[in-house]
Amino acid sequence: MNRRGLVDILSGLVKTCLLLVILEIFTTAFLPAIGILSFRPEFNVLIVLFLAFKLETPFLAWLILAVQYAHSIFSIEGWAIGAFAGVLISLSVRYLKDMLDFSTAISTIVVVQVFQIAWFVITSFLLSLKLGDFGNFVHLFWQDIPESLALSLLAPFFFVLLDRVWKVNAKEAGVAI
Amino acid sequence: MKNFTVNSSKWKLVNNLLVIFLALWGIAKQNYSLKEVSAFESFLIEAFAPIQRGTLSMQEKAAGMLEHYVMVVNTSKDNEQLRHKVDELENKIFEFQEVKKENERLKQLLQFGKEIPREKVLAQIVSWDASNEFKVLRINKGSSDGLKKMSPVITMNGLVGYVYRLTPHYSDILTILDQNNRVDSIVARTRSHGIVEGVSEFKCRLKYVNRTEAVKVDDEVITAGLGGIYPKGIKVGKITKIDKENFGITQSIVVTPSVNFHKLEEVVVLIEKDGAKNSIDNLIEKRDLAKEEKNE
Repeated sequence: MNRRGLVDILSGLVKTCLLLVILEIFTTAFLPAIGILSFRPEFNVLIVLFLAFKLETPFLAWLILAVQYAHSIFSIEGWAIGAFAGVLISLSVRYLKDMLDFSTAISTIVVVQVFQIAWFVITSFLLSLKLGDFGNFVHLFWQDIPESLALSLLAPFFFVLLDRVWKVNAKEAGVAI
Repeated sequence: MKNFTVNSSKWKLVNNLLVIFLALWGIAKQNYSLKEVSAFESFLIEAFAPIQRGTLSMQEKAAGMLEHYVMVVNTSKDNEQLRHKVDELENKIFEFQEVKKENERLKQLLQFGKEIPREKVLAQIVSWDASNEFKVLRINKGSSDGLKKMSPVITMNGLVGYVYRLTPHYSDILTILDQNNRVDSIVARTRSHGIVEGVSEFKCRLKYVNRTEAVKVDDEVITAGLGGIYPKGIKVGKITKIDKENFGITQSIVVTPSVNFHKLEEVVVLIEKDGAKNSIDNLIEKRDLAKEEKNE
């Protein structure tokens, strides 16, 4: 998987960021316009998880940073908390790689959900630390769970799309729908 | 350089460490109360916000067309020429009605707070923040329209928030629903002082109100005018729940904002004129004195 050159990486990154921008516009403008204000799926998390699961490049940390920077245009959350969580998760994925299975849609959904929970624990902790108020930690964590379930269900389809963007071959991808 | 190839795990480690330190620096620098925008960020916001705005207006047009289509179906028995004319007229009436409704809304909005000697800039909502943790709105007015950071944002129903991030044509508003926005407030009836903080699900919490204060459900909460952001006397919301624990010196009060954030379309940004702050305070003091004299 290390066959990717810098040009491939940059082209994949640009396409991924464009996809993220479209999804962020859908979340920030379209959903509120039709009256859905309390449901905002964080597609940046799904994209970062894909990068962590499927790409093995020394530039992975910078790719995560770039995706989070694109996300920060649409959220005051900024890039830093997500970049930190993303790199930590990519490091843990490296050690757990043999245990992760993307051969079926169900296993993909489960793996994505588990890592989303890890993501929310890290970000909620950092946010609580930053705000100096751990009273909201549980609330911050729980409020993302409904959206994360929807994102996990979407993950098998979404990963197929990103497999094509990043030219991950079927053997590497292993996601079956 | 020989060992430092693209495949090198050292290279990976260095990159990971660099990004982790960069992220930690970013987290430390991040300010959730006020945000300076870099030129590049400003460029990106300016580039994508029109698309967000377009998405919103496309939805409005689609809803209008659907409504119009339903009307057209009902007149299908008429002859072709008449139907065409009716369509045209209905379309015009529909447009006029929409313009009339918008005019009424804007008129009410601009007339609201006439006594506040601040310049008022009318703005439309473009989008909401992408993260669930933050309750932030993007509006279609920016520094080129005279907006300044920390300018209060209101509607005729009450307080919305303040300008958090500013680009030439767009601004982000940190609403009172956000946990990073703290509004110095008083309960209008008892004059009990507290801080309103966003919690979740379109509710706020009034903190630091002494448990001996006789506040009641349905009491109105207004801005206290302290803190230098919001003028005094703007409606924040109503008390909807009070929990008095057996311990502690304060009470847990839930406030429902007077602004219906689900139906928010336009807002007014109050821009302070030079020397206006003093005149607002004078005005409020005079009003309070008059009220006290009346009560006596």
